[in-house]
Amino acid sequence: MDYIQLAFDLLGNPWIRGVVGLIVVGVIFFSAIVMVWLERKFLGDIQTRPGPNRVGGRFGLLQLVADAIKLFTKEDIVPENADKPVHAGGPIVALTSAFLMAVAVPYGVVSFEGSEYLLAVTTMDISALYVEAVAAVSIIALFMAGWGSNNKYSLLGAFRNIARMLGYEVPLGLAVLSVAVMAQSLDFVQIVSRQEQLAWFIFMQPLGFIVFGVALLADLGRIPFDQIEAEEELIAGVFTEYSSMRWGFAFFAEYLHAIVGACLVVILFLGGWSGLPFLGTLFIPPVLWFVGKVFVVIMVMIWIRGALPRVRIDQVTDLGWKVLFPYSLINLVWAAAVAMVVS
Amino acid sequence: MNGEIETQINLKPSEMLLHLGPQHPLQPGPFLLDLVLEGETVKDATLEMGFIHKGIEKILENRTYLQCIPITDRMCYLASISNNEVFCSGVESLMGIEPTERAKYIRTIMLELTRIQSHLLGIGEYATDIGFLSMFLWMIREREPIISLLEMVTGARLNHSFVRFGGVAYDLPAGFKEKTLRTLNEIRKKVEKHDEIMSRDSVYLKRTKGVGVLSRKAAMELGVAGPAMRGSGVDYDIRKVDPYLLYPDLDFKVITAPNGDVFDRVKVRLSEILESIYIIEQCIDMIPGGPFKQGYNPYLIKPKPGEVYSRVEDPRGEMGMYIVSDGTFKPYRVKVRGPAFATMQALPPLLKGAYMADNAAIASSMDSCTSEVDR
Repeated sequence: MDYIQLAFDLLGNPWIRGVVGLIVVGVIFFSAIVMVWLERKFLGDIQTRPGPNRVGGRFGLLQLVADAIKLFTKEDIVPENADKPVHAGGPIVALTSAFLMAVAVPYGVVSFEGSEYLLAVTTMDISALYVEAVAAVSIIALFMAGWGSNNKYSLLGAFRNIARMLGYEVPLGLAVLSVAVMAQSLDFVQIVSRQEQLAWFIFMQPLGFIVFGVALLADLGRIPFDQIEAEEELIAGVFTEYSSMRWGFAFFAEYLHAIVGACLVVILFLGGWSGLPFLGTLFIPPVLWFVGKVFVVIMVMIWIRGALPRVRIDQVTDLGWKVLFPYSLINLVWAAAVAMVVS
Repeated sequence: MNGEIETQINLKPSEMLLHLGPQHPLQPGPFLLDLVLEGETVKDATLEMGFIHKGIEKILENRTYLQCIPITDRMCYLASISNNEVFCSGVESLMGIEPTERAKYIRTIMLELTRIQSHLLGIGEYATDIGFLSMFLWMIREREPIISLLEMVTGARLNHSFVRFGGVAYDLPAGFKEKTLRTLNEIRKKVEKHDEIMSRDSVYLKRTKGVGVLSRKAAMELGVAGPAMRGSGVDYDIRKVDPYLLYPDLDFKVITAPNGDVFDRVKVRLSEILESIYIIEQCIDMIPGGPFKQGYNPYLIKPKPGEVYSRVEDPRGEMGMYIVSDGTFKPYRVKVRGPAFATMQALPPLLKGAYMADNAAIASSMDSCTSEVDR
């Protein structure tokens, strides 16, 4: 126990806390880099091309470093008539919201000398609600980017963004609510432990999983829901007027959101860091379970990107209001009924 | 910024003028679409062409007949053999000669190969425009062996300059037949697979069914040509209407589709690829021996005075050339009637009332080539 005590003492020191915080930020950034690389390679496989294969050996491992150097050295262009603070603020707010989301996500537990320690930057009673709320901030960030650029294409992208948000935040929230009803808590840790007791919520409420998955894809703005930056329609949508590291921030924010989104799917529906029941005898640390599941979810997201064309914006809002919203209500009733029976 | 134009056309407060172009990721080449948007709906569209006018018709007047052939390539690099063919067959009828039997076969095969690769790239570009990047890369992959076949015969990948008056530039190389048959077999399988994806995928169907409907009547009035016209149910193909080379003797269908929407236009192209493969397979077994070009000096071509209109079925529709000879070494006047311009001018009426997002699907399903429009 001395070691644990020592660790807690060390964490009391603000300098140490700062260093730990930097490490956490680094890990989050690194995972985004890994995801970008994975996406390129896997999409390359789908599309029968090699993907990055020049920088950093056969597998293009250092491609992202080269891209980062390119982004840092490019000219930073701000349109003359742009609303400069708003234009500059867009990507920063997007990145901030991604980090605020990542803060509340627990990654697993570590057992040490009989007691379990949670791996998370912070825990709170309402972490699910908090993540939902902070995720919504990114939508404001995209609107800032679109509005501040003073470009018609950006503006159209910003409008599409708002239309999409109105349609999808509701089913997304209701799906999270159904999980909360079933777990009787808004705390991620409680939700995971409830799934360990009962069963993974993907089996308890499959409809909720589908609604959450589709709404999440739409919320993240990935193909088939990338209307706000549809290249062939709006050039680059809200990010048309961004260059250099401003664009880099927006790009990173997008991937961070995707990773945190995958974490949410795992925590809310795939049992978090709990292992598969029939593999119970096999010891795999909870953190590895968590990372493995997130990896699978991300691969599925990339696969969807490679396999589907883009949906039109009016069809997107149709899907949100006319399909996902009623289904999410049905799922909420179902979740409440099951929760009553179980308890 | 664009205040001058915007006040000229009296926009309502809820409307916005959007200049789509001259540079835009959607476009195959520079053209300007001025869209009046209300929200996401296009209220009005104006098309402006001519950003890359090359003056090809004038250039042709200042070249000898042989020198003209490479210039006709440059009208559209996806259809260079058709462009050669239309010029050469015109000059041939002015000179009163016929291509040799062997050359007819070679030219027919090359024309159909050109059609296949042009359709593959056209569908691929269209697929990216509706956000389906994977399909684009698959189409490029399928197109590559066809390009290699063309390169094997002509020595060039895009601008072939292959057809000559009364023949072709080179004979078929050894092993061409086997390689072609093998390649076409593979491509048929793959195209059938893509066809299946493009007729069953629900997201794709939602994007394309009933979008950008060009009625049969409108298609005929606007002079739309080729697959875009046949997609509206008009049974019009120069290969049947005014057959040239081997086409009178060949067995093939004119592919049409009834609805005239984006889905049908692309479907026609996909089916035409399969039909072209069938045509090549018919020809390739029967290629006769003999010379592949007429024995005359190509540098001394001097057709009798007169004029001729020759036409072929380009991958994009009816490609015609009106050639006037005054009995000298150079054509007196050449007027080109390209299919792409007719297809382009159907865009503004089609876009009216469409969604902004459908612009991409509609415009690229017409598969027009800006380079050929602005020749």
